[in-house]
Amino acid sequence: MVIISLTTIFDQYPDRRYIMFGGKGGLGKTTFSAATAYYLAKQGKKVLVFSVDPQASLSDIFKQDIFGKGPTEIMPNLYAQEIDADKRVKAYQQEIRQKILDMYKMEKIPEEIESYIQAAAAEPAMEESAIFDEVVDIVVKGGYDYYIYDLVPLGHALYYLSMASVYDSWIDKITGLRQQMREYDQVAAVIRRDKEELDEDAILNELLYIKERINKSSRILTDKKMTAFFFVLTAEEMIISDTLKAAALFAKFDVPLSGYIINRVLPAELKDQNIPEYLKNRITMQEHYLQVIDNRFGKQILARVPEMERDVTGLDMIEKVAKEMFGNF
Amino acid sequence: MSKQKKGGLFQAIKEFVYGVAAHDSARFAMKSRASMEHLFILITMGDMLGVPILPPYYSLRLLPYVVPQISTWKRRMLREKDLTDALA
Repeated sequence: MVIISLTTIFDQYPDRRYIMFGGKGGLGKTTFSAATAYYLAKQGKKVLVFSVDPQASLSDIFKQDIFGKGPTEIMPNLYAQEIDADKRVKAYQQEIRQKILDMYKMEKIPEEIESYIQAAAAEPAMEESAIFDEVVDIVVKGGYDYYIYDLVPLGHALYYLSMASVYDSWIDKITGLRQQMREYDQVAAVIRRDKEELDEDAILNELLYIKERINKSSRILTDKKMTAFFFVLTAEEMIISDTLKAAALFAKFDVPLSGYIINRVLPAELKDQNIPEYLKNRITMQEHYLQVIDNRFGKQILARVPEMERDVTGLDMIEKVAKEMFGNF
Repeated sequence: MSKQKKGGLFQAIKEFVYGVAAHDSARFAMKSRASMEHLFILITMGDMLGVPILPPYYSLRLLPYVVPQISTWKRRMLREKDLTDALA
């Protein structure tokens, strides 16, 4: 059953090219990400669906091992990518080591520097940061009409989104300090009447580079014109209250919420058939909570997707879900 | 020749004036600059001294540029000595 319909959202706002599905674990974020990617690809848009979850399940849903393989073509116009954080961290460490060796013409990394490089990589935040950075890469590089983020479960997703603003202010502060240092250099040079131009500050340049990238990605995440964020929920008490809480938190980070999608709706027609008491109770309970959801979210509900008769894996099932979400296309 | 002499004299006066008036300011600016340098490394590389700093991923990017300063910086920050130094 399609209500205001997702299709209108996509038709009305063609600039919203960064699509995100959020919600608790196991409610169907990956399924909806894949189905939306499928729908858009069928409309002739070039789509990349990628996972920011270290335990990604895009490989499972597309029945194809894509982990750490970069953007992989699933069907015409549809690309999927699972980021291998570990691999990226290792490559990054190596890049830093090489840079030090090249800059100072060293044979070997000094011990205390090497142990710092290793300790930094063991930081718990390192994996997320690496994924974050790769997503920045993906977004900055461009080349697709749509980017679909297969997000991690709620709390984590919030952490991920807040990372952008934390980095933002961190980088602003140290860039400011660095620029101030630069001014002192210039003052000293003027007083001493140095003839030579000051050398470029390599650190400042590096900071400005990082700043540019982080700002760009956090701008995208919080820009209503470019981003559509959908919440996935089911007709159950706890899920509804968690979703309400999460929606309030997300609003704090200026994540532009486009609407809600209800998943796993048991077909109401079942009730008229000869079904066991157990199922009847489930359906009655569901009717109640669907009503609660309607009262709470009203027009923001964009689709109700029925519980499927089997697991959603493989393109056939993905197409079926896409048709439930977007109507026949 | 006399021109050069004049230039030399001028140069000497210039340096004298600089020494009297500006040398201290220049030194002060450079000293402030050096303290800021240490502060900057502390903010970005504080992890090395056990000061947790956010976020390590981007700190690493800056590491190559501060490699030569690391040991003087550590010395300055850890000037106070105690027994645990023997373990390091």
